[in-house]
Amino acid sequence: MILSPEILTIYILNALFALLSAIAFYFSVRIFLYWNENSTSQLQYKLEKQSYLSATIIKYIFAIKVPLFLFFIFTLDDMSNIISGAMCAAGVVDATVYGSYLLVLKVLNLYLFAYWIVLHSKDIKFEVQPYIKQKFGLFIGLFFLLVVEIILEIMMFNAIDVTSIVDCCGVIYSSSSQSYLSMVLSLDYFILLGIFYGVFLFLTISYIFKLRYLFSILNLFFIIISLITLISFFGTYIYELPTHKCPFCFLQKDYNYIGYFLYTFLFIGTFNGLVIAFIEFNKQEIEKFYTLSFLFNFLYVGIVTYYPVIFYIKNGVFL
Amino acid sequence: MITFKNVTKTYEINTNNIIQAVENIDITFKEGEVILLKGASGSGKSSILSLIAALSKPTSGEVIVDSKKISKLSDNFASIYRRDNIGFIFQKYNLIPTLSVKDNILLPLVPLNLKADDVEIKLNTVMQKFSIFHKKDIIVKNLSGGEQQRVAIARSYINEPKIILADEPTANLDKKLSEKFIEIMKELKEMNKTIIIATHDPLFFGLEFIDREIEMSDGKIIV
Amino acid sequence: MEVYENTLNLAMQIQVLSMNKYLIEYAINSILRQKSKNIFIFIVFTLLIFLLTSIFFITNSIKYELNSTVNSLPQIIVQNYKGGRHYDIEISKVDKILSISGVQESVARVWGYYYFENADVHFTLVGIDMFENQYKKSLTHLTQISSFDESSMYLGRGVKKLMYKNYYKNYFNFIKPNGTVKKIDIAGVFNSDIELESNDMIVMSKENLREIFALKENMATDIVVKVSNPNEIDTIALKIKEIIPTARVITNEDIKVSYEHLFNYKSGIFLALFIISLFTFFIIIYDKASGLSSEEKHEVGILKAIGWRVEDILQEKFYESFIISFFSYLLGVIFAFAFVYLFEAPLIRDIFIGYSNLKPSFSLSFIMDFQTLFLVFLLSVPIYIASIIIPSWRVATLDADEVIR
Repeated sequence: MILSPEILTIYILNALFALLSAIAFYFSVRIFLYWNENSTSQLQYKLEKQSYLSATIIKYIFAIKVPLFLFFIFTLDDMSNIISGAMCAAGVVDATVYGSYLLVLKVLNLYLFAYWIVLHSKDIKFEVQPYIKQKFGLFIGLFFLLVVEIILEIMMFNAIDVTSIVDCCGVIYSSSSQSYLSMVLSLDYFILLGIFYGVFLFLTISYIFKLRYLFSILNLFFIIISLITLISFFGTYIYELPTHKCPFCFLQKDYNYIGYFLYTFLFIGTFNGLVIAFIEFNKQEIEKFYTLSFLFNFLYVGIVTYYPVIFYIKNGVFL
Repeated sequence: MITFKNVTKTYEINTNNIIQAVENIDITFKEGEVILLKGASGSGKSSILSLIAALSKPTSGEVIVDSKKISKLSDNFASIYRRDNIGFIFQKYNLIPTLSVKDNILLPLVPLNLKADDVEIKLNTVMQKFSIFHKKDIIVKNLSGGEQQRVAIARSYINEPKIILADEPTANLDKKLSEKFIEIMKELKEMNKTIIIATHDPLFFGLEFIDREIEMSDGKIIV
Repeated sequence: MEVYENTLNLAMQIQVLSMNKYLIEYAINSILRQKSKNIFIFIVFTLLIFLLTSIFFITNSIKYELNSTVNSLPQIIVQNYKGGRHYDIEISKVDKILSISGVQESVARVWGYYYFENADVHFTLVGIDMFENQYKKSLTHLTQISSFDESSMYLGRGVKKLMYKNYYKNYFNFIKPNGTVKKIDIAGVFNSDIELESNDMIVMSKENLREIFALKENMATDIVVKVSNPNEIDTIALKIKEIIPTARVITNEDIKVSYEHLFNYKSGIFLALFIISLFTFFIIIYDKASGLSSEEKHEVGILKAIGWRVEDILQEKFYESFIISFFSYLLGVIFAFAFVYLFEAPLIRDIFIGYSNLKPSFSLSFIMDFQTLFLVFLLSVPIYIASIIIPSWRVATLDADEVIR
């Protein structure tokens, strides 16, 4: 069990989140059960006031969660220095059984919280507040996810044993290991790249013709195929080593922290694409989401393509 | 344009003390009308203004402005409604004493996040119009009563509302300044604003530019 | 192209939506209008951040120094242990160690601590031989620059000063274990790359040192081992332990780790104190923000009456608290920089270095550590903002009608 200042900071902020979200949760339940927009009772009046507080709390949590997540990743990377065998965050995540679940849950929560914020800003534009119950009902679910995330985080940090040796990314993601992950990663490059650029091509088409549901679903596929190709193909060109397949090493200084940019662009791009399917936007609003999504996905594709291209130009061959 | 449908407003100070501010009000005001609400203090004139501004909600009945039921508006939308439609000149002016004239007047525009150029133009126009441009950087608490009132009027006007409400506007003014105020109201009428003035100052009675005089007593309208 | 236009519009929209110039101006104005309340909070918060950041800076610098020290330490040190205590080790063991594959060098060291009673300090005495391989660069340097006078000694700067203070200018009298005196002339002062260690050091010939400590010819204080492949240090340490079961084998990793632990312990205490003060501060802010004067309530009522929504008021309050906390953060960090790196952090740094009369006079090296700055930011600004959420909400949801009548 390590209690470095970084981990302590994460715990403190988690405690704050727990406290504030509990308050928001309590009000969310009440709003979900008793909200009646036609009523002019004292209860309704109170609920209205409480909805402002809950919304503010949720916005605050999301606003802090984002830098905290980056800090979390950075801390994991930093911890790889003191855990034997770990060369990057991959080893740290793999050091406990909770690591990968925690990471996935954190990312999922980021998407969900961001979705809540978009839903909320749409909701308050109307006098009638059409999404109010949906919104707070969603938060009730989100609250449980948040609590699970915090618990997982505590359990993970507790369980990390500095002395027990972990695998480094070379082992975890290599083709010699037995997991499903490595099976997928060792698929033929042409197939993977074909899917990747194919999905992006269809994304572009649906962007131009504003095909709403297609655009969203393609964004979902895009997340998956991007991650796969990033680890198995594009990453190797960032590292300039055909066997180095790791989604965490390029977060380090040696590679100019490019990892942070890539993942951020991917998140912004795909989030804005996904959200279109779930909320009824008017023409002007939806324009904004389409553009943001396409722009950031495009940037992502641009950057990952840059690496193998530059490599080829410099060296005349591919890896 | 403004319709009261069987509106009653009661305040409950405690279980034994219930004050009926207005009772069963049914009345309609047309757009561009200048209305005078006459009556002694406590007759319910201020409450009428408050209800039109959606600053308070009726206990029963409905207030409809421009086909919109403002009595059911949530806090946020009531604010938006006020922002877009109402200019209120309060009895005590309700200016922020520690801010300058300019900052007070521009307050209604602050949350709108307009472009700086637009804001400057509006601000200067309004300050010129109500003759306080020359005092724009002076802190409000250092102004005279008449000047403060002009700031209050300017502030109520800057968001170009359709409805102007004035609560006992001349209570703290001398005759000369009161007449000045009436002049300004006449100008506003020229711009087709709906103006409702609640006052018991006889200076207003029988004036030509006033379209209707409504007398109130004990919360009810006396025909 | 369509995308280009959209992007441009979007950029403008984002720019406009996220920052409201007038609201920020109003927030700044509001802060300045309530000077007395805000100054107190600002000062206390800045102080807290200053203390925390200073401590982080100091520990980072010292860690860095220590790590550099540790890196220059021998990779493996072999000591003889009898009855749980450190004893002299036979020089013959050196050859045994050399026989292990992977060992590049194995040198017997002769050194010890000499207690100088008058000044209540311990000198570190190090014995060297002119023609031997030195295990430390600075010592090699010493034997090379001048003809090393076998009969005299070289002092670290701190030692020279101390001896001078005690009226020993050109020589020093060591008291041998049998009570007699060994006089050794002072040949000069030597420099080491790393001040922490050299400050209390005296270098002399092995012969002289053996005399002072009554160390036999065939014995040494300990043996240092250098391995050709640093990755094998642990393996070789194990092998040495197999050959010499009574020996205590310390690798430089062990030392690094124990330093880390010591640091984490000391900074842990400060962190705990900080958390307590943060928590207290949270409560103070909450309380102050909740206690609204009738003036403040009146002002909010006016704002709502002229068309500000609950959200606008909340946004304004957020701007206020962000400005105060962020400036506190900046100021606290800047003061910490000045305190630690310009003024060498008097008082606080002694707690970390440990008490010693021979205080090393080294400067805390400047390390730009973004991680620390980020950490302190996360521990300050979000906490402050969290503490005003509920009070601001209470203010923003006041009933306008009641307040302005």
